[in-house]
Amino acid sequence: MPAIVKNTTKGFGHGIVSSEVKNHDNDPFVVKKVEKAKETIRRVGFPEIKKK
Amino acid sequence: MNLEHYHYFNSHDYRAYEFYSEGPKGRITKLVLFTKVPDTEPPFYNLAFGDKNPLTGELDDKVKSNNSDRDIVLATVANTIVEFCHHYDDPYIYAEGSTPVRTRLYQMGITGLWDEISAAFDVFGLYNDQWYKFRPNSVNYEAFLLKRR
Repeated sequence: MPAIVKNTTKGFGHGIVSSEVKNHDNDPFVVKKVEKAKETIRRVGFPEIKKK
Repeated sequence: MNLEHYHYFNSHDYRAYEFYSEGPKGRITKLVLFTKVPDTEPPFYNLAFGDKNPLTGELDDKVKSNNSDRDIVLATVANTIVEFCHHYDDPYIYAEGSTPVRTRLYQMGITGLWDEISAAFDVFGLYNDQWYKFRPNSVNYEAFLLKRR
């Protein structure tokens, strides 16, 4: 069995901008998730964040 | 974030991210997507995460790939959140799995990275239609909101 080589790094690193990475806003699954998120926030609102 | 994570690629608008999970099941393309929820104030974004369907190219968050690299994958997702926040002025980010089991996996992921996440983010869990400050190893939350401080 060949060794698994993971292309990893440590620490925060920026990604590589690629035109191969497409916009998914109109994927049916994403549209459904966004609708559900909107419905939930409309119902329960946002939490209160206390300022220090 | 000082944890081992995969290198990733992102779209020009920094709202879509791709990386490769490497493990016993082979190379699996993962997607992390931030989508603005329209007509809300303050603005917030939905986070969607899962495998990229090799046939359609669309996100599938019902697949359980079990590629023995969960911690690295979750650290990579955390890095994409930090990168996204750099470019979008730290909005609220909403995350909910497509099933309760999936949402539970998100919770385990947040718990596993809690030291790193809590240092930089306010995190809330939804339970019975109320937001609570996220506490590791407490109730099973139904959704999550994150906001970078």
